[in-house]
Order: sequence, then C-alpha cells, then structure tokens
Amino acid sequence: MLRAEHLSKHYRQGEATITALTDFTYDFPPGATAVVGPSGSGKTTLLNLLAGFDRPSTGSVELAATKLETLDEDGRADVRLRHAGFVFQSWNLLPTLTALENVSFPLLLAGVGRSERNQRALPLLEKMGLAARADHRPNQLSGGEQQRVAIARALALEPAVLFADEPTGNLDSAAGAQVLDLLLEHASGERRLVLVTHDLQIAARAQRVLHLRDGRLTKIEEL
Amino acid sequence: MELLVLVWRNLTARLTRSTFTWLGIAVASASMVLFLSFGEGLRHALAAEMGNMGPQIRVVAQGTDAFSPPLPELPPQMLEQIKQLAPELGIEKVIPAVVMFRGGFDPASSFLFYGLPPGADPRDFYPKAQVAAGRIDPHPSGAVVGSKKAELNHLTMGKELRLSRDVKLPVVGVLKPAGSMLDSFIFVPLRTLQKVLGTKNYGVFLVQLDPDAKPEEVAQKLEEQIPGIDAQSTTEALKFAERAMRIGDLIRFGISLVALVVGGLLVANTVMMSVYERTREFGVMRAIGARRRFIFGLVLSEALFLALAGGVSGVIAGYVGSALINLYTQHAVGLALSAVTPRLVFFSMGIALALGLIAGLIPARNASRIPVTEALGRV
Ligand SMILES: Nc1ncnc2c1ncn2[C@@H]1O[C@H](COP(=O)(O)OP(=O)(O)O)[C@@H](O)[C@H]1O
Ligand SMILES: [Mg+2]
Repeated sequence: MLRAEHLSKHYRQGEATITALTDFTYDFPPGATAVVGPSGSGKTTLLNLLAGFDRPSTGSVELAATKLETLDEDGRADVRLRHAGFVFQSWNLLPTLTALENVSFPLLLAGVGRSERNQRALPLLEKMGLAARADHRPNQLSGGEQQRVAIARALALEPAVLFADEPTGNLDSAAGAQVLDLLLEHASGERRLVLVTHDLQIAARAQRVLHLRDGRLTKIEEL
Repeated sequence: MELLVLVWRNLTARLTRSTFTWLGIAVASASMVLFLSFGEGLRHALAAEMGNMGPQIRVVAQGTDAFSPPLPELPPQMLEQIKQLAPELGIEKVIPAVVMFRGGFDPASSFLFYGLPPGADPRDFYPKAQVAAGRIDPHPSGAVVGSKKAELNHLTMGKELRLSRDVKLPVVGVLKPAGSMLDSFIFVPLRTLQKVLGTKNYGVFLVQLDPDAKPEEVAQKLEEQIPGIDAQSTTEALKFAERAMRIGDLIRFGISLVALVVGGLLVANTVMMSVYERTREFGVMRAIGARRRFIFGLVLSEALFLALAGGVSGVIAGYVGSALINLYTQHAVGLALSAVTPRLVFFSMGIALALGLIAGLIPARNASRIPVTEALGRV
C-alpha cells in the first residue's frame, strides 16, 4: 500500500518560507498513477516524501504497511530496499558497474550471494531486451538502454511500488515510448506505479492522473 | 569481498589519481622504513658487538666522548693506581692500550690501530677472535689485521704496513671474519704505537674482573678513587648506546613523519575529491536502499585500501633499499647497518593504516551524511 495523509512540505530560505506541498491526502490504488503539473508545482517534492527521501513538515506517509515518519534514515532506506523501486530522469546507474552489476546492486544490499544475484538479475535484463548488454558499462549504453537497465534494477527485489520521476524526460520519442511501455507493463496486479511527468500525453497512459498546482492536489482524473 | 570490488572499480576508474596517491604513500612509507631500518641495524650490530666483547670495564680519560677513539691521556701512574686497587676490587687483569685512528673519506683509507701490551692479543677484546693466517699475537713487531681491513687494503701476510713516516710493521696475522667491528681493526704492539704517537700515556684500560665481582660497582669505585677517569661497564655502555639510539630513532621518525603527513594529505585529498564527484552516485545508492553505514564503509575502505597498498609497496621498497645499503656497508665495514625487522614492518604497516583511517574518516562521514534529496539533485 501507499497512502499519504495531510502531507505538507515547507522549505525555509533565509527569512522566507516556501511551501512546496500543501495538505496532500491520497490513497494510491494498485496500477499506474500519473502525477502532473507545471514545473515547480511540487511533483518531485511529493515523490521525495512518498519515497522517504525527505521528511514531511507535517502529515504522514504509509508505505508497505509502515509509517515512514516512525523510522530514521536507515529504517527508511530498508523500507525502500524491500518495497520500492526507482527510475529517475537520468544519471540513474552506478557508472563503474556493468549493466548486470547495476541490476544486481539491490540484491547485494539485501545480502543475496553472488551467483544467485546473477541468476536473478540476468532474466530481468533479458526482459528489458538487454541480455547482450549485460557486461557493458553505463557510458557504453544509449539513454534508452540506461533507463531500461534502471527499470530492471528497480524490479530486482519485486517491490510493491515503482517510483518514476520524468523517466522519459531525456529520451527521444521512440526510446521514451519503449521505456514507458516497460514501466506500465510492470505496474500490474497489486503493484503500484507513481509516474511523475509534466507531459499530459504520457500521463494519459496511466489509469488515473493527479493534477498538482502550486503544491496543491487540484484534480483527480480517472481514465 | 563485494565491497572490495566496488572499491577497486572506483579506484581504477580514476587510475591516474589513484596511482599517484598510491605512489605518494609508497614513497612516504619506504622512506620511513629506510630511516628506521638504520636504528634496527645498528641495534643488532651493537648487540652482537657487546656480546663478543671481552673486557667488562673500559677506563678512559674523563670527557672522552663515547663515539670517537680515546686520546692517549691516561698517564702510567694511573695504571699503577688501578693495579694497586686490583685485589681489593676483584680486578683480575688490566690491559693498557692505545688507539690511533687515521681517518679518510672512505673505509679503505681509514685505519683504526689498537696498541696492545705484551701478553695481550685480540682475544682480550673479542674472546672468539681467530686467525685465518699467521699468528694472533702482534708481538714482538708485527700487525694483526681484521678480515675486512685485510680485504679492503689487500693486506696479505708479510705486507708492510706503514704507521708513520719511519715506522713500518709487517702483517704477521690476518683474522677470520667475525661480523663485527673487529673485522676493521689492526692490532699492533703497544710500544710501537706509543712511539708513533710520541707518548708514554695510554688511551684506554681494559679491565677484566673476577667472576663474582659486579662490573657496575667496580666501575663506580674506580671513578671515586681515581679522579680524572671515566669507567664504564659493558652493560652500562649498552644502556647508554640504547638510549642514544632511541633518540636517533625519534629524530628519524620525526623526519619521516613529514613524508607520512604528506602521504596522509594525499589520501585525504584523493578520497575527498572522489566523494565530491560521486555525490550523485551515493544519492542513487541511498535511494535504492543503501544505509549510511554502507556508504561510510565504502569510502573508508577506499582510503584504507590506498593506504594499505601504498604501505605494502613502501615496505617492499624500503626492504630493497635497506638491502642495497647493506650491500655497501657490508663491503665497506663488514657490518649490515640496516635491518628491516618484523617489528619495523608491523610498525610501518600500522602507521600506513592509521593514516588511511584518519584520512578516510572525514570524507566517509561526509559522504554518508549527504541528504538523499541533495545528493540526487546534484548532477
Ligand atoms: N530544497 C529546496 N529548497 C527550497 N525550495 C525548494 C527545494 N526543493 C524544491 N523547492 C521549491 O519547491 C517548489 C516545488 O518544487 P518541485 O517539487 O521540485 O517541483 P516540480 O518537481 O513539480 O518541478 C518549487 O518552488 C521549488 O523551488
Ligand atoms: Mg521535478
């Protein structure tokens, strides 16, 4: 599950206080939920709070039956490792590791042994159509390929929630479409996908769209 | 194991920088090992020397410093005074001797002559001394030469040895190698050397004691009863030398500390730069679910790895350097003056690791404390 209640985030900047998110309450159902809004509307701030990267000023987040505000940094990291996967706009991969090692990385953090890691990571790369690229470093991969490796990595521990922040933002339309298809394909069953984008066409591929404006949830659109 | 792969990948990804850092630490460690190996070598040489020495007390004129040959400043009546005290103090034998040093810039042109009275021979200095050729007693008029000295100056049996313009002695004996200072000495009759120096005085009295006499006590009594002398037992001399050597160690360690600090700063700089460049990477790791400790351990391991690699190479380089030095000193004076002992190896490795630890702690702490959102924000 993924649920936010009365979530607010204020940033202090000198004397002034910037409100990035105000009173956001929503219980994310299974499937793909897009979050749209113009630049600066609070999309990334929301994702940071939902994923436990940052603490809310007020309100609470419940991820996989755990209230994140009851946990410290490392506690939230543990929850992310087990229950959440991430695909960012760019610069997702660890540059000194091969594609296969990048996909294996969450398994390594979870204490899975080397041979089992490879056994589990390789099929994921295959699913992303990247079996032939397993031993390539990120700088030997195209942007689309890098994003697909990132998706494979996000899926490595079969998380309940996938978070994607502008995952197609740096890709051409063909590569973007492929990445989007793969993300949506894996947002099936009980799994949830939170897809942050400013592109309404991409958002339209989700099952519902949350509209943010000036840090407020202004509209929930079921498709 | 897994962590090591990550460490290795990152260090090799910045190969030039890592290599220079590694070299820097290696040079620092090597210089420390080399500096300190002298102390260790001298200590070994000294222990061997003292173990080989015969006389239990050396008497020299007051004010003679411990590291230069004693001048002939002990008048004959002092010898009589000591002989008078002999029965009372438990002195078995007193050997008056004269030492003459003719220095040059290298071992081959330096000569250390010992003038011994009739009835005394090199075995009174070094009980284990043995001849390789000829006889061991320089009397009535010959020279007995240590093995190293014989080799360096091609002194074979019968060769003439010139002590001054008009005093010459034939080589009548060549000693077997003893692995100590003995190998560089030349023993001649006392009278001959006194004539060369134009004196009737002595430079040193070598005092041998009865088995149950206590060297320290006898030395003290001698100093009390005969003004103007320094009497030193072998064990005291050893203690004194050990103290002098410890001071030497400290000075050498101080000098090498400069190199070590530079090495430590190199590691700190390398690791800090690498941390700064990888902020985004750490952000991704934390986002995926890495704990702070993981990042901390990763960065600290890099510093330790660099320090360890530099330390190991430094010790190896120091060992090679020390062997080269010994090659020379062994050729020159027949002694290995430099020694890389196990405790020196452990000490150097410990210092290298401590440096890595100190240099790595702050960057590691910083890296593990960057907020996730900030780390992800920086591209
Ligand atoms: N660390 C921060 N410090 C100060 N203000 C911030 C910080 N992060 C975001 N903001 C502000 O909060 C608002 C929402 O930002 P963000 O969530 O990044 O929007 P979006 O992702 O929709 O473009 C913006 O006005 C932004 O300037
Ligand atoms: Mg954003």
